[in-house]
Amino acid sequence: MATPQVTAVPDLSGIKDGYEYGFHDSEKDYVFKAKKGLSREVVEEISTYKDEPQWMRDFRLKALEHFEARPMPIWSGGHMDVIDFQNIHYFVRASEKQGRTWDEVPDDIKNTFDKLGIPEAERKYLAGVGAQYESEVVYHQIREDLEKQGVIFKDMDTGLREHEDLVREYFSTVIPANDNKLAALNSAVWSGGSFVYVPPGVHVEMPLQAYFRINTENMGQFERTLIIADEGSFVHYIEGCTAPTYTTDSLHSAVVEIVCKPGSRVRYTTIQNWSHNVYNLVTKRAIAHEQATMEWIDGNLGSKLTMKYPSIYLLGPEAHGEVLSIAFAGKGQHQDAGGKAVHVAPKTTSTITSKSISKDGGRSSYRGLLEIAPGATEAKSKVVCDALLLDEHSRSDTYPTIRIGEDNVDVGHEATVSKIGEEQLFYLRSRGLSEEEASGMIVGGFIEPFTRELPMEYAVEMNRLIELQMEGSIG
Amino acid sequence: MNDATTSTTVDVCPAEELPPGAQRIVEVGGRKIGVFNADGHLYAIEDRCSHDDGPLAEGLFDPERKTVECPRHGSLFDLETGRPKTLPAYLPVETFSVRVEDGVIKLEVR
Repeated sequence: MATPQVTAVPDLSGIKDGYEYGFHDSEKDYVFKAKKGLSREVVEEISTYKDEPQWMRDFRLKALEHFEARPMPIWSGGHMDVIDFQNIHYFVRASEKQGRTWDEVPDDIKNTFDKLGIPEAERKYLAGVGAQYESEVVYHQIREDLEKQGVIFKDMDTGLREHEDLVREYFSTVIPANDNKLAALNSAVWSGGSFVYVPPGVHVEMPLQAYFRINTENMGQFERTLIIADEGSFVHYIEGCTAPTYTTDSLHSAVVEIVCKPGSRVRYTTIQNWSHNVYNLVTKRAIAHEQATMEWIDGNLGSKLTMKYPSIYLLGPEAHGEVLSIAFAGKGQHQDAGGKAVHVAPKTTSTITSKSISKDGGRSSYRGLLEIAPGATEAKSKVVCDALLLDEHSRSDTYPTIRIGEDNVDVGHEATVSKIGEEQLFYLRSRGLSEEEASGMIVGGFIEPFTRELPMEYAVEMNRLIELQMEGSIG
Repeated sequence: MNDATTSTTVDVCPAEELPPGAQRIVEVGGRKIGVFNADGHLYAIEDRCSHDDGPLAEGLFDPERKTVECPRHGSLFDLETGRPKTLPAYLPVETFSVRVEDGVIKLEVR
């Protein structure tokens, strides 16, 4: 049996305080690693390697043309311009086959997921797990009883192979390939991600979890996720992610499409904890039909730059959407997060709650859209953005856009920017807390609307990660 | 007289100039309208994507599915109804009546 080779990166100081997932594994047993750079040949190589149908190959190549034809978005303020798209590995396959049990996963990769606590979490409280390592999913499992009820939870590549008609019906209908430059890139080189289908009336009571791990330096991970919740169904999908700490940059650019059919409810929870050398540029969008509910619970702790605005298009009457987003920007980080709600039908409702914390010169931004289309009568929406600045070197910006095309609506927007108050600190310190403990408690209270929405185990983990981020923040 | 019911009929082109699978854009009173021939069935929609008001009718035409794809952001529009089948557009665009009369394609514009 091969000896697991896990190389610890000894010095993380100056890159990120207390980032505990910065180790990387050996690549000696990798099956395939595409050379760096993006070209038609690389896209064709990926498609050939996956033995895809012709329509998907054509889709990829057309998407590449869109990517090459488009400029970087002007609104990004030049932050994305530094990405060298020719210095990235677009497809890396670490394992020959996907495991149905963890014993079938190569030792060093299993060891990594053990360290991340995934198999243990699966045993305790998950209905299914997909574990993506580099470009492909190395482990996938769903509880047998759910499979018997018709629930499909596969990696996207398997989903395409085994459920081609269903995939083709919905794939890229929520986010077309030329929706934006990064969606075009994902469409050209996508690999991995999840395909979820929940049949009418089926409630998946325990969460499905996907975990994304980058290991290679200068890696590009481009997973593609499609979730279809049929009428009256419910599913909670949770994703987490980490990567080794390198001195050069990696890119994660996912596309997530969600279809909530009438009366269904989907909750999509993200705990993003990439290392500080990862550009995280993600397009997430959902459509909610009549009386459906879509909830994005979006936590951003890691990465160098995150640009992500989960969106909900409320297409059917009485559909409801929620975006609850938190972002923590530490030294060298820029968290550009937010959410979008587009009300198309009457009596649709939405709330967007965004909370950000900036420290050690970190920068957080709220970027959001609330749109009420003509005809969306009696629509109601509330947008709240709160920013907490922990020192004078840090920064917070808000870019809200509100477009209202209907008279009979109820819309509210609140925004606050605050610092940890001397009085709050004094009060807590008078109760025996150190300044660091007091600050941590205030921050914990600030993000409590987020953590209370997480399953308990994730809330505990989230609080622990925040504590790690807060370490050394005083003095 | 109700303006909404007033319509003008204009000649687009001889029918043989728009064979199955072909598309063209005509300008009528300052408005651009796309005319499409899907296997002998004619369709006409306004040349404006409802997502960001950019051009639409020059996009990729799929005669089999009777759709045109917005060249800017990829929304797929149903030529029969004018409704978008994919995001980011969500509002329909206007459709027009079109027919062949005496070998000439005639477009009715309201």
